[in-house]
Amino acid sequence: MDWLLTPFTNNDFMVQALMAGALVSIACAIAGTFVILRGLAFIGDALGHGVLPGIAVALLVGFPGILGAAISAALMIGGITLITRRSRLSSDTAIGLLFVGMLSLGVVLVSRSNSFSGDLTSILFGEILGISTGAIITQLVATVIIIAIAVICSRPFLLLSFDPEQAQVAGFSYRLYHNLMLLMIAITVIVSFQTVGALLVFGLLIAPAGAGALLSRRIWVMMTYASGLGILSTYLGLLISYHFNLAAGAAIILVTVVIFFIVFITQNMRRSRPKIPLEVTHE
Amino acid sequence: MNSNKKDNKIPVDKTGNSVSETGSTSIIQASNLSIGYGNEVVVADINFELKPQQAIALIGTNGSGKSTLLKAIVGLQPVLGGHLSVFGARPGSNHRRIAYLGQFHASGFVLPLRSIDVVRMGRFPLRGLWQRMTREDDEIIHSAMSAMGIEGLAEYPIRTLSGGQQQRTYLAQVLAHRADLLVLDEPTSGLDAGGRDLYLQAINAEIRRGASAVIATHDIQEEAALCHQVMLLARRVVALGPPQDVLTPEALLATFGIVVTGEKEHLHVIESKHGHD
Amino acid sequence: MVTAGSAGKINKEPGESILSAKRLGKSPLNKRIAVKKVLIIPIILILLFSVLSCQTANTISSGKKSIVVTYSILGAIVKDLVGDKADVTVSIPNGLDPHDWQPSAKDIEKLNHADLVIQNGLGLEGGLQKTLAAARDKGVKFFTASDYVTVRHVGAGEGIPSGDPDQALGAADPHLWMDPLTIKSVVAALAPVFKTDLNLDVSSQAADLENRLDSLNNEITKIVAVIPQENRKLVTGHESMGYFARRYGFKLVGVIIPNLSSQAGVSAADLAELKKAIEDNPVKAIFTELGTSPAVAKAIGDETGVKVVELTTHAVPVDGSYFTFMRNLATVIADALK
Repeated sequence: MDWLLTPFTNNDFMVQALMAGALVSIACAIAGTFVILRGLAFIGDALGHGVLPGIAVALLVGFPGILGAAISAALMIGGITLITRRSRLSSDTAIGLLFVGMLSLGVVLVSRSNSFSGDLTSILFGEILGISTGAIITQLVATVIIIAIAVICSRPFLLLSFDPEQAQVAGFSYRLYHNLMLLMIAITVIVSFQTVGALLVFGLLIAPAGAGALLSRRIWVMMTYASGLGILSTYLGLLISYHFNLAAGAAIILVTVVIFFIVFITQNMRRSRPKIPLEVTHE
Repeated sequence: MNSNKKDNKIPVDKTGNSVSETGSTSIIQASNLSIGYGNEVVVADINFELKPQQAIALIGTNGSGKSTLLKAIVGLQPVLGGHLSVFGARPGSNHRRIAYLGQFHASGFVLPLRSIDVVRMGRFPLRGLWQRMTREDDEIIHSAMSAMGIEGLAEYPIRTLSGGQQQRTYLAQVLAHRADLLVLDEPTSGLDAGGRDLYLQAINAEIRRGASAVIATHDIQEEAALCHQVMLLARRVVALGPPQDVLTPEALLATFGIVVTGEKEHLHVIESKHGHD
Repeated sequence: MVTAGSAGKINKEPGESILSAKRLGKSPLNKRIAVKKVLIIPIILILLFSVLSCQTANTISSGKKSIVVTYSILGAIVKDLVGDKADVTVSIPNGLDPHDWQPSAKDIEKLNHADLVIQNGLGLEGGLQKTLAAARDKGVKFFTASDYVTVRHVGAGEGIPSGDPDQALGAADPHLWMDPLTIKSVVAALAPVFKTDLNLDVSSQAADLENRLDSLNNEITKIVAVIPQENRKLVTGHESMGYFARRYGFKLVGVIIPNLSSQAGVSAADLAELKKAIEDNPVKAIFTELGTSPAVAKAIGDETGVKVVELTTHAVPVDGSYFTFMRNLATVIADALK
């Protein structure tokens, strides 16, 4: 049982990685819950790609990566909104190309840097093993903000997920709360790229929340499951990365996906048993 | 059965207006109203008035403008021309007093929500972001679920319920609001006979409580006949007035393009050709 | 017939228990099963690991001091110096590009727990910078080789101006192992550091090693003597031959990858510049090495008619000896250019 704990008891950097990963997991659990409930997975993926050019520019010019990420995420969301507004038809192609474009732009920009492949790796896949105390504090602040938004807006978010029209009629402005939700997701992605990277943050957003949706009947329970599974994945991912010399960020994401499929399969096995009938008596 | 219906009906005078104390304050006032989507007008020149404790039924095929009019009333669709006021103000400004039930549910059925959670949402417009739910709220929720016969299903995830049970839940949500104006689009769709009966009783209870209602329905027989006014829509207002005046074979023919069978009291609508293009 | 009063009852299926209107949700039994199902996941995963990780035993310290050297060539020298008086580990595996190699968790752990870390300096170990800085902050003892040598800087005409700060006139060249006498300075500085920081006396080994390095230097001078002056031009895959060129009188000509590191990609303009430089400075061979795109090197070779020869500049040969490494290098160059 020693090998479950010694990587962490022996090494500060492992504990810091665990803390960072846990904070990211909680933020992603909350934001990811709404991504899944409202079918916003596409947007989550878009943000993951969209932050790249901003981070690259920030790196080259020398200002904080998070600021660059925020700016280009905003541009990405703006681009998507514009595209979906202009055409009534499915805008998948256009949005897909926007992804590819942002990604390529990011890579082209980073290639101007001296430590090209190192930088690119750390942007795409994160640097959880080298995370600084400053980054952990940023993550903590972001997570607290996200919890605050979710708690304050819990009712409108619930209504929005249930039926956007009902939300509007009930007096909760669809535009306001939809944008707040997007903001919440954007903050999560922007801050989390430092730990697990811009590409992989999408996995951490979706997989634990997806598993949570399968396991729970209530939204807040779903978030709790998602947080728990995310933290567990961080721990196991770091453990795997340590013992088998594998990339840490990717290991964590791999664990979240494996857990999701385990839950998915076990839940489907349960469903095949006959349910308790719910019919109301009548003749 | 006929005698039951008479008991549920609110006393009316000769002209079809309800005899109430609230005088002539209109709940809804529409004059020269044009509604539609984007720039396309679906129905033009609508004129009607809904008074307190009254119910008006909108009858017409899909695409006739029923849903559009309902959405215009609750502020989901902008008014394209003319005048529409709800509670004396712009549509959409009185969310605390209006309960809406749409025809289709955009809700994802991935949603981990129990049916009691859905009904509970009916209290949100009144409690806003912050206010805690009180014991009174819980009682209202419980009685709304009883009224629709689903209090035994409270803990079940909504996705596990049948279509009819889900519809009952959505109706219970409307009832829980205790609104002054109910705006309902096809409320009986998917309901079995027992559900429909519960629904009719509940609507009548709401009216007695002091609410008004605008109901788009296919159910001419039970629902429309119980309302104070009926509007026949076929991308234009075919007829408007008390049910006994409006629900004539000629008017229905113009609305639906139907063949009437059976006795005059029991009108059956069989759509063979729409009354509009 | 509708029975309004019975609206609350639920149909009983044969064999199932009745759910009264009061009893909410799943029975306690179902709930326990649900909880158990969730716990099964981590339990299975942990069991998997106990099976798979049986082999990974923690290396208990043998009481010897642990020295971690960042890359293999310097590591070869340190091992030569220290013998088995200390545990010497090399972070970056031999043959891998030191410039962008990223450490794993265990690598970071080793660095953090080392008694002494020996690094090259001047940014050679690109991917390790953060880890090294963090270890330094923790108080791990460091020895930086470049502190003890006469650092070479990029001269005029030696690189293609590409706008990279590394390629600018005056940028420091980190490839200090290419000259035995530079290494000799490092060795001379290491011995006293071992004494003070590790309490290890290697003074006799150091003296011996310094002598052997002097001999090596003479050897190499002889080997490259066969190359006539006008052929002493080095066009290599990247600017790593600077110290060698300085010591043995070679001229550096514009490089294919215009950077002291091997990471940046190639731009079309740079390639054209290289072609022109070769036409201005006729050479017999160009040298590819770690990090150079072989396709590009071949293309140049085809176009200009020069020989394309592969050099090993960042990896220690099989016998692990620095001396063999340098001798091989010199021989290949001499054969290509004589």
